[in-house]
Amino acid sequence: MKGLRKGGLIIAAIGAVSLFIGAAWAHPPFCICKMANATTVRCEGGFADGRGVPGVKLDVVRYDESIVLETKFGPDSIVSFRRPEGEFYVLFDAGPGQSFDVDYKDIQ
Amino acid sequence: MTALASPSRGASLWQRWRFHLSALVLIVPVIFTPVFFQENAFFDGKKGLGQREIGEIAVGPWSVRLAEFKVVAPDAEGRAGYAKTFALALCPACVDEVKAAYLRVGKPRNIRTAGALFSGTPYRQTAEMRIPDRTTADDVLWLTLEGWDGALHQATIPIRAASPITAAWLEKRGRP
Repeated sequence: MKGLRKGGLIIAAIGAVSLFIGAAWAHPPFCICKMANATTVRCEGGFADGRGVPGVKLDVVRYDESIVLETKFGPDSIVSFRRPEGEFYVLFDAGPGQSFDVDYKDIQ
Repeated sequence: MTALASPSRGASLWQRWRFHLSALVLIVPVIFTPVFFQENAFFDGKKGLGQREIGEIAVGPWSVRLAEFKVVAPDAEGRAGYAKTFALALCPACVDEVKAAYLRVGKPRNIRTAGALFSGTPYRQTAEMRIPDRTTADDVLWLTLEGWDGALHQATIPIRAASPITAAWLEKRGRP
């Protein structure tokens, strides 16, 4: 009887888990950049499911495509750098399809 | 001879209703069976590319069929903001020539910022495209196809044409 009850519970648990299988989907990355002080930009990266991005590339690029800085996120998924003069963008690059840019106008 | 102890009220109710509960356990899946098969057919592609086909789009020498995967407003993705899923099928003649397809809001600066990468078979692949905070309903989607020879070809689709429900959502949301 006890065995039957245990078996029933396992089947119920598997059934409940299967209800959520269809919900599995990609989780897009994010990179939130803000001014930490008058001269320093602080960017925090990650994925929507809560995964961090330690070691992921972050480039600071001028509008003419010249690279100002090539760096990587730290173990805490944060990177800080001195804000360049003029027009630039921050390129978060976690690989093909997982990379995007943050314009300097959006860093405040 | 000893008298049997009468079961408590709770145990008695459980005894009485467990038969009905076990019947319910059988009936509930039967009720959801049609929905299950419909969803299955949709995810298998038997019901088309997506819930709303946008049409055939020429991209340089190639063409693709693009569709809204589901006709719903963009999904909330926590700190990543909002994202919208699109489905794409390469033209049969260009299946062997196209290496990758990307989609994003606004013109990409370069291939590294080409946007969400479509994944799946050449006949039906999907991509979850980020909706940046600055996006407005009048913005344009840029579709970039990359060939195995390194060639890049692009096409644009207004958000209003690609996903009217997303355009309506953006208008309602306003510019943050």
